[in-house]
Amino acid sequence: MFINTLNGVVYGSFLALTSLGLSLVFGLGRVVNFAHGVLYALGGYFFVIFLPSLGWWAMLFAPLIVVPLAIAMEWLTIAPIRHRNEIYTLLVTFGLSFMITGAIEYLWGTETTLIKPPVIFQGTVDILGNQFPVYRLIAAGLSLLVTGLVFAFIQFTPIGLQIRAITDDNEMAEALGINTRWLLTVIFGGAAGFAAFAGALGAPIFSVDPEMGTGIIIDSFLAVILGGLGHLPGTAVGAFIVALAKSIGGGYIAEWAIAVLFLVVAAIMVLRPRGVFGRGRIA
Amino acid sequence: MAASPDGQSRADDVPRRDSREVAMRVLLAGFTLLALAVPFMDFNPFFITLLTEALIFGIWAMSLDLLVGYTGLVSFGHAASFGLATYAAGLFAQNVSADFLLSTVVAMLAAAAVAFLTGLVVTRLSGIAFAILTLCICQVLFQISVVWRSFTGGLDGLIGVPLPTLFGREVEPGDELYFLTVATLIVTYLLLRRVVESPFGKTLLAIRANEDRAAAIGIDVRRHKLVILILSWMTGGVAGTLFVFLKAGANPMSLYWFESGNILAITILGGIGTLFGPIIGAIGFIFIRDQVTTMYRAWQFSFGLAFVLAVLFMPSGIAGITERFWRRLWPARS
Repeated sequence: MFINTLNGVVYGSFLALTSLGLSLVFGLGRVVNFAHGVLYALGGYFFVIFLPSLGWWAMLFAPLIVVPLAIAMEWLTIAPIRHRNEIYTLLVTFGLSFMITGAIEYLWGTETTLIKPPVIFQGTVDILGNQFPVYRLIAAGLSLLVTGLVFAFIQFTPIGLQIRAITDDNEMAEALGINTRWLLTVIFGGAAGFAAFAGALGAPIFSVDPEMGTGIIIDSFLAVILGGLGHLPGTAVGAFIVALAKSIGGGYIAEWAIAVLFLVVAAIMVLRPRGVFGRGRIA
Repeated sequence: MAASPDGQSRADDVPRRDSREVAMRVLLAGFTLLALAVPFMDFNPFFITLLTEALIFGIWAMSLDLLVGYTGLVSFGHAASFGLATYAAGLFAQNVSADFLLSTVVAMLAAAAVAFLTGLVVTRLSGIAFAILTLCICQVLFQISVVWRSFTGGLDGLIGVPLPTLFGREVEPGDELYFLTVATLIVTYLLLRRVVESPFGKTLLAIRANEDRAAAIGIDVRRHKLVILILSWMTGGVAGTLFVFLKAGANPMSLYWFESGNILAITILGGIGTLFGPIIGAIGFIFIRDQVTTMYRAWQFSFGLAFVLAVLFMPSGIAGITERFWRRLWPARS
């Protein structure tokens, strides 16, 4: 039980990182990025590929490859159709994720790869009489740190101010001279980078396989909806609700975790259709 | 007839509308005749099976068109209606009776029940939130179908569903099942046509145009959404029933999110809000997928690429392109 909760917190901190990117991109450009999950998967794969040559620096190198890829993706396929109904961005990114999953399977096969954590972090620590892997704690701490940095960036920098302005009222922000077009591209790249980092960081915990993006994208979507569309603190809270419901529910009735998760989400959606803070959009 | 000052006249438009209606009916009759003639053209049996599958997908795509095209609700979890029905009809056929009509009713009831429960939550939403939540619900059903092994057979699915019977007579696979599918498709099309042209259907269009305004003029938006969701899932259930008899089994992959994406792509690329377009989209999709998957390994990549290109360059679908061609042929007199 205690271990389940702890695992839930670890997963939640990863989920916070990925769903934050999803929420940011949505809030900025009303773009629903279905391909966010495969960007996470690509992070994991590039990490595994560069691990032998670069060592643990690969964890930073993987996002550096994914970011330009994501920017190219945005520039080629999403930017030209942003004036259309936002559903089209969902469709295009669905196609992209199909494409990239196909490419991953074609290039690197369908097997699951499990990476061992670095030697110094391979042990376990004793928490209230339970043995818990050190690496999980370190990784959770790292992703929470990055999540915190993202929040600080949005709250305290001039670009962050612009992001908040656009999320609040896109047309007004544009009228005040903020280049929303450029900013969306940059943030899209940044969000992809965080997703890829999460994928690399999670590789020793959750393993790497072509389908890894699917699981995380569904959970991230739930987190974003729970938090209220486009509301960032809500998204982070939503991520932990999803992760905890999944791991604690899973502790009692094993494989039915997802049903428990869904009941929790449905209950929250009925009670608070605008997300946990009641400030998101409903459409 | 004198044209009004702005160059448009309602009365002037009537013959044009009539001729289009006639053309539409000629097309429908031609399509029906062609569909019925196919088995006599001596194609190989595999072709007939593939065509049956395509038409089943056509029924399913029409059911999604009710939501996407006529109500503006983009469901990203429509595999749920289909997959659920394959299990309901499959289990019923295995354990109780393989009567086609009874199985269809059971599958439709199962779909309606789950659609009702789903609707209680999702009708509060629209747009993106609706899309994402329906996706999640479908994923839950997928998960359930995988873990509830004693009931659904887990990852293997249901194996060995008997052949359907119709009025006590067994329906042979191949031509007979194909005719059954064609008949079901036509009946479904005509019924749905009635629905979308009824006052209820027009009310849905009002909701699609603007939910808030529809509510402001006194339309119970949530109730209309709930009814069309149930109707759509029931229609999807009909498709699922045919599918389980075609494949003689049910598989959890019918509930996977790829399927939801596929059917949404079929519907949109076929042309939403037309009922007819999605059928064409389904036929195109099934045959192209068959060609591509048997050709080479990178099919998933190429398929995704084709999907992206189609969304980018063909937003109004096949029906939209036909419509434009049609307009060029019969330019509007003004």
